[in-house]
Amino acid sequence: MDAVERANAEHQKRWAKDQKVGEGTYAVVYRGREVATGRKVAIKKIKVGLFKDGLDMSAIREVKYLRELKHQNVIELLDVFSSKTNLNLVLEFLETDLELVIRDRSLVFLPADIKAWTAMAFRGLEFCHRNWILHRDLKPNNLLISANGHLKLADFGLARDFADPGYKMTHQVITRWYRPPELLFGARHYSTAVDIWSVGCIFAELMLRTPYLPGESDMDQVRTTFRALGTPTEEDWPGHKKLPDYFDAGQYPKTQLRDLFTAASTECLNLLSRCLIYDPYKRISAKEALFHPYFSAMPYPTHPSKLPKPAKKGSTMPLEEFDGNVDFEGSGPGVRANPPNKLKRKLSSDELGSRPIARRLDFSQHS
Amino acid sequence: MNGESLPQTSRIPLYEGSTQFRHWRFSPEQLAETRSLLNAAAVAVIRDAFESDQPGSSSQVSFLSAEEENLLVKLYLGKIPQLCGIFRFPEEVEATAMSYLKRFYLKNTVMDWHPKNVMLTVVFLATKTTNYPIPLDAYASRIPKTTPGDVLDLEFLVAQSLGFDFTIWHAHRALWGLWLDIQTLSDIPLDDLSKAYDGALTSIRASRFTDAEFIYTPSQIALACLSIASPALASAWLRSKSGQGSDDAISAMLEPLKAMVLSQGSLPDVEAVREVDRRLRLCKNPEKIPGTNAYNKKVAEKQRKAEEKRLRKAELQRKAMEDGDPFGSTLTAQADLDDDDDDE
Ligand SMILES: Nc1ncnc2c1ncn2[C@@H]1O[C@H](COP(=O)(O)OP(=O)(O)OP(=O)(O)O)[C@@H](O)[C@H]1O
Ligand SMILES: [Mg+2]
Repeated sequence: MDAVERANAEHQKRWAKDQKVGEGTYAVVYRGREVATGRKVAIKKIKVGLFKDGLDMSAIREVKYLRELKHQNVIELLDVFSSKTNLNLVLEFLETDLELVIRDRSLVFLPADIKAWTAMAFRGLEFCHRNWILHRDLKPNNLLISANGHLKLADFGLARDFADPGYKMTHQVITRWYRPPELLFGARHYSTAVDIWSVGCIFAELMLRTPYLPGESDMDQVRTTFRALGTPTEEDWPGHKKLPDYFDAGQYPKTQLRDLFTAASTECLNLLSRCLIYDPYKRISAKEALFHPYFSAMPYPTHPSKLPKPAKKGSTMPLEEFDGNVDFEGSGPGVRANPPNKLKRKLSSDELGSRPIARRLDFSQHS
Repeated sequence: MNGESLPQTSRIPLYEGSTQFRHWRFSPEQLAETRSLLNAAAVAVIRDAFESDQPGSSSQVSFLSAEEENLLVKLYLGKIPQLCGIFRFPEEVEATAMSYLKRFYLKNTVMDWHPKNVMLTVVFLATKTTNYPIPLDAYASRIPKTTPGDVLDLEFLVAQSLGFDFTIWHAHRALWGLWLDIQTLSDIPLDDLSKAYDGALTSIRASRFTDAEFIYTPSQIALACLSIASPALASAWLRSKSGQGSDDAISAMLEPLKAMVLSQGSLPDVEAVREVDRRLRLCKNPEKIPGTNAYNKKVAEKQRKAEEKRLRKAELQRKAMEDGDPFGSTLTAQADLDDDDDDE
């Protein structure tokens, strides 16, 4: 065996696969553990043999960027090894993701919880941008959450670096509902502002408990966006009518975020509005966002370990009434707020009762 | 030598967290030792392979030395810009591929893997890692006597050899930053500036034939290359950053780097390499050459292991049936975990 193969085998031996836990478009994900310590990990196995062009771009990007990024709010890549025709990424194991949290109607979010998740998303993103990396696929499903509540940016399969400002990039990135208007209009030069828009949409979704701008097609996405935020004028967003795929999506009046997000504080809405500015150059940066008064104002962000999280599948979570703060009935996708009082958890005794139990169950299942 | 001794541009601190800084930096002594240990180990293995192919056959073979290996690698480094030129790949691809080739041969010997093959794979991989991918067919079809398989067969080995560290911090990028910075200095004639930039870039391209990137940071290399092109500009910039006094120390530190670029930054003498290549034909690892006894033995051994594993699995399955678990549910789940992985 060659030295390189031997080294690979050494890496491989450090990890054991236990159980299949998920399947993505190009990979199968297993729960596994570090043999020496028993530490729980996720092993993402990518079948390279499937691709006629060899190692595929998603896998390459994911490895390339995660290899360089070490941050509390970015998923950690612990190791990489190959087995025959597969590439295996050993990732820290993350119990759940923000989409599942948002969808779990048994959970009630406090304003401080929303602040905590948003702050963690911005911290992770600021680190990526500081490293000249665009994520380009931010959405609740790609924000994973660890057992102790830390939110981490994951899924770097579409990421790229942007050190070279003149270079044209594809606008076919970012899942539609989180895609900024400049990409919808086909801009080929764009930057960190695209990720900020996505975080803005996620931020809004945390408050609404339903996607904020759920367009049904790429064209409809533009209309949905304009309907929610008003059609931009030339002054709002200079030059946007010259973008390659610009089209007249109709005139919608300017709106007040306040009308929709009735329960939100002034600072909160100010930050949200600055994430959703049409002109990418005027949109807030991740770094500025971290210094925004919203994060220093009361209430302080919830400690990660105290954030709401879904009950484990199979565990017997004490039943709460399923009436979180989202109204799923009714028309007009995501353009309706919940009564302010519903943004509070129902009963503090519930909170005290149910969460510690859920955590105890975690331990019994995975120690 | 260390990044801290230089005035920092905004990327420097991040550079220190990079895989390049953590995994691919050496002192000149470490570098020499790495290569000579690698060479010695390779020779020992190949000697055994010769013996297993045909006992007594290794005694007449004259194996390559570490220096000779390096010479051959350097020759093929020179072919990468030519290859990239055919496709009009950007400088990023070219520079990345050259770094990959050099890194590959800190983990492998030319006696196992000839650089003429590895070169094709590192360029193809670099197109992907720098985000300029092209279809494999389009790539292979424009290179004479090359099939897609030739390129792909080594891709995994290359990626493994790189330790999956795909990001390269390039000196030409650092030079760009330096150049932008210099334009903010007062009293700099723009004419000189662009001439100096072109000269510095030429030196940076030359530096890719050397070990500079293993020993120095990208900004050190950029500054040294600028200093080769225009000592006055380089020291004006240094003075503006570090104030009086400390720039002397930095200039002194740059001297060996400049000397390295100037003396080693060119292609090796073709005649000398031809001689090395001729000898390489006689000392290639027979285990890597299809048709030799050693190769066949190695293949047979691999097949035997795979078969053993298959039998072991079948046996478990049979036991499960006997134990009254006719669907083998627990075990199929188990088998599913390593379906086609060869774990041994
Ligand atoms: N680090 C992790 N810890 C625990 N589970 C994970 C981890 N990463 C992924 N998973 C699980 O594996 C599933 C597949 O993940 P993957 O990232 O490959 O694809 P995806 O994001 O679901 O889909 P797509 O490939 O379309 O983006 C996830 O939905 C999740 O359930
Ligand atoms: Mg995903």
